[in-house]
Amino acid sequence: MSVLAPANSKTVLLGNEAITRGALEAGVGVVACYPGTPSSEVPATFSRIAKETGVYFEYSSNEKVAFETAAGAAWSGVRAMTAMKHFGLNVAADSVGPVAYVGVKAGLVVMVSDDPNGWSSAQSEQDTRYYARMFRMPMFEPANPQEGLDYTKKIFDISEEFEIPVFLRTTTKVSHSIGTVKVGRYKKPNRKGKFKKDMQRYYNLRPNLQKMHRAIDAKLEAIQKKYSKNFTTEIKGSGKTAIICSGVSYEYAREATVLLGLKAPILKLGMTHPMPDKELSAFIKNKDEVLVLEELQPIIEEHVTQLAKAANPKLVVHGKDLLPKEGEYNLEKVLPAVAKIFKKKCPDFAARTKKEQDAVKGLPPRKPVFCAGCPHRSTFYAVNKVFPKDTVWAGDIGCYVLGIFEPFEMQDFIVSMGASLGIGHGISCVSDQEVVAFIGDSTFFHASLPGLANMAFNNCKSPLVIVMDNSVTAMTGHQPHPASGFTGMGDPVKKLSIEDICKELGAEVRVANAFSQKDLVSKLEELKKLKGLRVLVSRGECRLFTKRKLRKQGVDFPVFEIDQEKCKKCGVCTDQFACPAIVEIHEKKGDKPTYWINPDHCWGCSVCMQICPYGAIRAGVRKK
Amino acid sequence: MTFSAFFIGVGGEGVLTSAVMVAEAAHAEGHYVRGVQLHGLAQRGGSIPTEVRFGSEKELFSPGIMQGDADLIMAFEQLEAVRATHYASKEKTSFVIEDNPFMPVYANLLDMPYPKLPEIVRRVKPFAKNVMVFNTAYLAEKEFGNAVLGNTMLLGAAIGAKLLPLKSQSFHAVIKELAPRMVKENIMAFDRGVELGKRGK
Ligand SMILES: Cc1ncc(C[n+]2csc(CCOP(=O)(O)OP(=O)(O)O)c2C)c(N)n1
Ligand code: SF4
Ligand code: SF4
Repeated sequence: MSVLAPANSKTVLLGNEAITRGALEAGVGVVACYPGTPSSEVPATFSRIAKETGVYFEYSSNEKVAFETAAGAAWSGVRAMTAMKHFGLNVAADSVGPVAYVGVKAGLVVMVSDDPNGWSSAQSEQDTRYYARMFRMPMFEPANPQEGLDYTKKIFDISEEFEIPVFLRTTTKVSHSIGTVKVGRYKKPNRKGKFKKDMQRYYNLRPNLQKMHRAIDAKLEAIQKKYSKNFTTEIKGSGKTAIICSGVSYEYAREATVLLGLKAPILKLGMTHPMPDKELSAFIKNKDEVLVLEELQPIIEEHVTQLAKAANPKLVVHGKDLLPKEGEYNLEKVLPAVAKIFKKKCPDFAARTKKEQDAVKGLPPRKPVFCAGCPHRSTFYAVNKVFPKDTVWAGDIGCYVLGIFEPFEMQDFIVSMGASLGIGHGISCVSDQEVVAFIGDSTFFHASLPGLANMAFNNCKSPLVIVMDNSVTAMTGHQPHPASGFTGMGDPVKKLSIEDICKELGAEVRVANAFSQKDLVSKLEELKKLKGLRVLVSRGECRLFTKRKLRKQGVDFPVFEIDQEKCKKCGVCTDQFACPAIVEIHEKKGDKPTYWINPDHCWGCSVCMQICPYGAIRAGVRKK
Repeated sequence: MTFSAFFIGVGGEGVLTSAVMVAEAAHAEGHYVRGVQLHGLAQRGGSIPTEVRFGSEKELFSPGIMQGDADLIMAFEQLEAVRATHYASKEKTSFVIEDNPFMPVYANLLDMPYPKLPEIVRRVKPFAKNVMVFNTAYLAEKEFGNAVLGNTMLLGAAIGAKLLPLKSQSFHAVIKELAPRMVKENIMAFDRGVELGKRGK
């Protein structure tokens, strides 16, 4: 799998890699992103290849800044791109709308990845297609990696031709699916531009605003006229029953017809805003029944229903009557719906599901947990010791979200990046409860600064803020942020100081070593006694990141072991601390357990040694 | 004919690398390839599924495998084999399981004991055409001093047992490309796996 595969060769690529390749082939010069699954491999790939290909790449501090960076470059004549997860667009939205009105000079592609099913532990199943309608922007949706490449390449041209930013929308199973891809040629991009003052173009206040509104609608109309055909695929078939679909649903539709032995007419939409009205109307004209396949909301379905009023009032439109709005589609959801409207037999998937559930009954689940040696586990453990059970635990987004599970259960709610501060503050305004708000270091720069400034300003009783500083954006794959010390291109850079920023805001600040229970507890006790804005920076590098670094450098570290003579079998290390490297073994049911540290899984953080009440854990051999 | 292989294991990159090797080998043999790689929570101790499908461009479209439709399930951790039964069926699915228990912390926390191997095989059987178990992690540690090579060895076992219709030579070439730092060890582990697969254990 190589994103930089030679021109005109075939290779296997991840959807996100194919999109990256498409952008390269289009000559993208500037890429700025804040990471977010399922779009993360677009920035991750650019981060790896930027220097080699001559692209400027940065990890920006949030999606709004990333979009603005790309827009600035596009205004100055350099092709630019940003990629984000669905929630990222909520953050960037404030700038996307106005830039769409103003338009662009060089091509600007805004990739947004939706996550039906919430594979990325997302907090809602947002359907980004509504944004295209709200902002009056064209939206293109590839169905597989090959289209990911082809579309990305093509829509840079369209963006430039009509001077309008364009959306590239994927869902998880497009971004994270692999496929055979034929690649084209890429060349060194143009990275030099110049911003030309132009009051006519950038003056987006009334009365110009209304002119711009008309202009953007005219652009959409022109794009619909010129490109509807190019982005619509028709599979010819026989009969008066048909399928209309877009995105990965097309792949399911095609395979369903193969499996059922159907020659069904299929119309696939690659551009979902504006929609190809002419092609759609012509397609439904002579049909009796259509099934619309689209994940999440029935946007195409409603549009087809609308068009049918003029084109074919007797048409029966199926979609969300046969398939759910929630969750993602797959073959076992799509196949029965297709079988139903084509009156074919189909396996009884639901009956089987029951047997599968029986097969796993009584087996321990494997929910995600903090890695062995994770600094967050240590911080939660100490906070839990210092604060009472009824403390409100204001949760936030990052690896520390895993504190929601047993044995900690210390994330009472999770809303969006930075929300622990605002909501924690709101609770503190009205309640006497103790509130502790957890935020990560990347989240600190992404969306927490306004929340902190607000608490400093509106000097009501504040929650205690704990910044879980593990030095990287861990959950999405260890990307750097302003306090990491290196950029997205891998260059060293001065770290911003989280504690200095908090001090400047007037907070009482303590910095603790996240791997020292003693240090954590004493700093927490100090802060607990104080009033006003209080911040604990709990600092300890993400252990997975450390481990990879040590491995690369060939440095060894000690793993820990349990002295069976001293172990009193109290179970604190497993029941209360729950490092996955520590195992409780019962030879037979009812036997006293033996506690054992699996040396292959221990990453040597030493915290279990600190919490064992009987001093039974000690450093053992060194491992690579 | 489309061939669908489902890979499951815990954490680490072993599962992903093995799946990528299969995808690359299939590509090298001229197949059209599709599949799913869910990145994201891979490193947080959860179970990670990866899917690889190969065949003809005319029949193969879906990136994901349909319920009961996998030809092969490779479980790099034995308990996870049971959770893969969704994709398996008596008619067509072979299980290749690595005898390599990784106890989830929830076994302790929720007091749900980790089952022994025969119990796992018993639960998988109703969904399997055949089940093969290999102790490749143990052998890799013993013979090569590196348990991680057990993954490559398990791939070899699937080839040796003729449960994955691809050629050994394709994997040798792919290993050179994907594991450039440990080519010799990986090829030796792979070939050892082929031998195990031929013998059936
Ligand atoms: C608006 C938005 N952008 C991106 C994400 C994706 N995301 C989820 S967790 C996370 C990492 C946060 O990093 P940090 O706060 O440092 O916590 P860590 O994972 O390192 O513990 C990101 C970027 C998101 N959920 N919402
Ligand atoms: S030292 Fe203890 S807590 Fe840390 S990783 Fe090893 S077993 Fe887990
Ligand atoms: S990736 Fe890092 S921060 Fe996240 S759970 Fe693992 S050790 Fe902790």
